[in-house]
Amino acid sequence: MADLLELVVSATASGCIYALVALAYLLILRPTSVINFAVGEWAATGAFIGVAVQTPLAWPGLDGPYWLALLAVPAILGVLGWLVDVLTVRPLIRRGASVTSPILALLGVLVIFREGLTIVFGADPLPSPPPFGFKRIAFGPFAGVSQQFLIVAATFVLFAATWLFFERTLWGRACEAVALNRRAAALMGINLRRVTTFAFVSGAAVAGVAGLLMSPLTSAHYLMGLPLAIQGFTALVIGGVGRIEGALLGGLVLAFVEQFGARYLPIPSGLILGFPFVLLMVFLFLRPSGLIAPREAR
Amino acid sequence: MRGTRNALASLVAIFAASALAFWLGGYATDVYRKMLIWVALALSYNFLFGIAGQVTFSHFAFAGIGAYAIVILAHKLALPFAVAFILAIVLCAVLAFIVALPSTRLEGFYLALATLAFSQLVLVVISEGGDLTGGTGGIANYRLPSVLGYAIRGPWYTILLVLLVAFTLWTLRRLDDSVFGRACRAIRDNSVAAAAMGVDVRRIKVLAFTLTSTLAGLAGIAYAYIDNVINPPVFGLENIFLLLFMIIIGGAGSHIGAIVGAVFLYLAPFVLEPIVGHGFLLVFGVLVVLTILFQPSGLAGLLNRRSVRVAT
Repeated sequence: MADLLELVVSATASGCIYALVALAYLLILRPTSVINFAVGEWAATGAFIGVAVQTPLAWPGLDGPYWLALLAVPAILGVLGWLVDVLTVRPLIRRGASVTSPILALLGVLVIFREGLTIVFGADPLPSPPPFGFKRIAFGPFAGVSQQFLIVAATFVLFAATWLFFERTLWGRACEAVALNRRAAALMGINLRRVTTFAFVSGAAVAGVAGLLMSPLTSAHYLMGLPLAIQGFTALVIGGVGRIEGALLGGLVLAFVEQFGARYLPIPSGLILGFPFVLLMVFLFLRPSGLIAPREAR
Repeated sequence: MRGTRNALASLVAIFAASALAFWLGGYATDVYRKMLIWVALALSYNFLFGIAGQVTFSHFAFAGIGAYAIVILAHKLALPFAVAFILAIVLCAVLAFIVALPSTRLEGFYLALATLAFSQLVLVVISEGGDLTGGTGGIANYRLPSVLGYAIRGPWYTILLVLLVAFTLWTLRRLDDSVFGRACRAIRDNSVAAAAMGVDVRRIKVLAFTLTSTLAGLAGIAYAYIDNVINPPVFGLENIFLLLFMIIIGGAGSHIGAIVGAVFLYLAPFVLEPIVGHGFLLVFGVLVVLTILFQPSGLAGLLNRRSVRVAT
């Protein structure tokens, strides 16, 4: 029983990371229809910046506290996201290129980020210090590493904030309007360029925070990006791209299937690695709208 | 008249590419052979991505299926080579068809991600296949058997690879010049309009995917006998990114572009690695972004513009 509950905690924490990466996809995909495969590399960048700020490992002399990393990661990633938008996506949209062009250009950006990380931080994994140490803590029957609980709490806060933003603020409503109908929104006087920029800045910031949060459990490594990008996308497809809640639900479903499958199914553990891919194909082929149906325009 | 001149030019090119095989040393031969495989894969991938407009991530998976199928059938199960060869090709075609049926219904990049899931799944299966696939270590210690008493070795195998490239190019050009090729381009540019003109969009999409993936399988079979060793990482995601970059930089939709892009990106690391180390991948990433931004028709577009200017 204790074993099962521990697995619940661990799966929830992983699921929250997938959900945050899915959210990063969603923030960009909804208003722009661009699937940005580079979000995984952005998460890796967030993890490395976290290590760089907190330890002298990557940047000699710098030994900052966790809150500084928590501020620096979204700020720096936001700037990087803005740069990517201005330098690659915006010129393509202005030229009226098909939506495939920015998606392919972002694959180039993916490689640039990954190779940039190896050049700046080296190819070896860097351990990332957990802010509350390696202590095990328990909430009622649920026990786990402190970082796992931090991940769950932070994810909850981020999703709540995103939801409030889209539901309650004028800016959020404007983004929703663009997601529902780009042309009509533009005719209503919404500045598409600004919404696109906002999408990339916020998407990059969320991806960076996801990487920062997960890095104490896995360490920062330049190859962490692509698997995260695939898992985040799988979470997105499972939950459905129509709504914010879908990303959270999809991430949790994916992580629970992955970890409970590995623990309880009588299949060699290597083959379990193929599980998420089967799940991704099943959802793409059979239920492309995901578990949560998209909302109609009101 | 133009036909005979083209045929003559092709023969000269095949002859020159074959003659090179006798002149190159051991290491250069290895580099040359792998370059020919890359060119063959780039040509078929260019048809799928550049002409039919399908962004997929499964091209190397099908090369892997071809390579593993021939080695397992001909050497592990000891079937006659001709039978194993035909079975391997059929396996590639059937699997490609099965994948294509549901995948080609997906729009845009969702197709890419479905095929990415498929290719990762193939990788998991061949890495976990136990004795049959050799696991993560792969399979080694086999040799191309003699067919009809002829053992194809040394430069003659390189010539076989030249003929593979020639066959791939010839097939794809024939397809490109046919009704099928025009239907593919029409669907790429506007599938709704193509359907309105009476093009059977589903059928053409499935056919294009199956045909090009089978050609990838054929290249995979040829690859299996270059080093006489196969292992999973070759067929992974890294290489499919490189293949995609070759097509984009070379010029999507152009056969010459695919060849130029493949040769350029395959050979570039040999020049760049001593200077920038692994940073050459960063250079490729920058090149891809710059190509999409400023030269969407790629290197082939540059060549064309020049030839037009010379002509006028």
